[in-house]
Amino acid sequence: MSTGLAPLVTWRPKRGPLDNCGLLFYFPAMAATATPELRPGVVETPKDKPGSGLEPGYLVICWNDPVNFMDYVTHVFQLVFGWPRKKAEFHMLQVHEQGKSVLTRESLEKAEHYVHQLQRYSLHATMERDE
Amino acid sequence: MKLIRSTKETLVFQLGPREKHVLLEVLKLYPKIPPAHQPLSKSARLPEQEASQRLLDDALAEQRVENKAQVQRLLSDPRRFATHEKGWRLSLSRPEVEWLLQVLNDIRVGSWLMLGSPEGRIEVLTEQTAPHVWAMEMAGAFEIAMLQALEGGSEK
Repeated sequence: MSTGLAPLVTWRPKRGPLDNCGLLFYFPAMAATATPELRPGVVETPKDKPGSGLEPGYLVICWNDPVNFMDYVTHVFQLVFGWPRKKAEFHMLQVHEQGKSVLTRESLEKAEHYVHQLQRYSLHATMERDE
Repeated sequence: MKLIRSTKETLVFQLGPREKHVLLEVLKLYPKIPPAHQPLSKSARLPEQEASQRLLDDALAEQRVENKAQVQRLLSDPRRFATHEKGWRLSLSRPEVEWLLQVLNDIRVGSWLMLGSPEGRIEVLTEQTAPHVWAMEMAGAFEIAMLQALEGGSEK
C-alpha cells in the first residue's frame, strides 16, 4: 500500500563515455547528466521500517473459544468495526468453523486499538505481524 | 427476564422477584476475568511488545474499575427497579444494555476460566465447580435476553 509520499520517478545515471573506457576512476556524482525515467503504474515505496507503527502490516485475529455465544460475537463485531450484520456473521462463522478469523489488517496503533476493544468485550483477540 | 417495551433510547425489562435477586447476585461477582489475562499477541514479534502489553493491561484494568463502580451504582440505585404487579421493571438505556452485556460476559468468561476452560459441558457438579457453573449459566441467560432485546430493536 502506498504511503502517499512515494516517488513516481526513479533516477538512473545516464551512461557516458567514461563507462566504457576501462579506467578505474569514475564520477558518480554528476547529477546534471541524470535523466528521469518515468514508469507508469509502478510505485516504489520506501522499505517498511519494522516498528515504525505507520505501515498497515498487523492482523487483528479473533480466536475460537467454546464460551462466547455466537450472537454475542456477531454483536461485538458490529459494534467495534461498524460492520453490517452479514459481514459480522461471516467472520463469526469463520471463527467458529475454522478456529480463527482475520478481522482486519491495520497499522500498529489501529490494530492495538481494535484488540483492546475486542478484549474489553472478553473476546479472544490478538494482533500478529503480517509477514 | 422479558422485554416489555423498547424505544430508540430505552429498553424496559420485566423480572420476577427471583430473577431480580439472581441478576443482582450475578452482578456482584464482577469482575471475574483475572487481570492481565489476555496477551496482546500470540507471537513475540511486535515492536515494544512488553510496553504495549502493559498499556493494554492497564487500560483493561482501568475499564474494570469504572465498570465495577457503575455496577455498584446500579445495585444501590432504588429507582432503577420499579415494582410491578408481576415483579419488577428494569429500565435501561441502550448504552447501559451494551455496557451490561460487557459486564455479564466478563462474569461468564471469567467463570469458565475458573472451571479450567473446559471444551464441553460440565457434567458433574462439585462444591468447587457449582458456583462457577451457576454464574456462567446465569450470566449467559441474561446476556441472551439482552441480545434478543437489542436485536428486536424496533419500538414495541
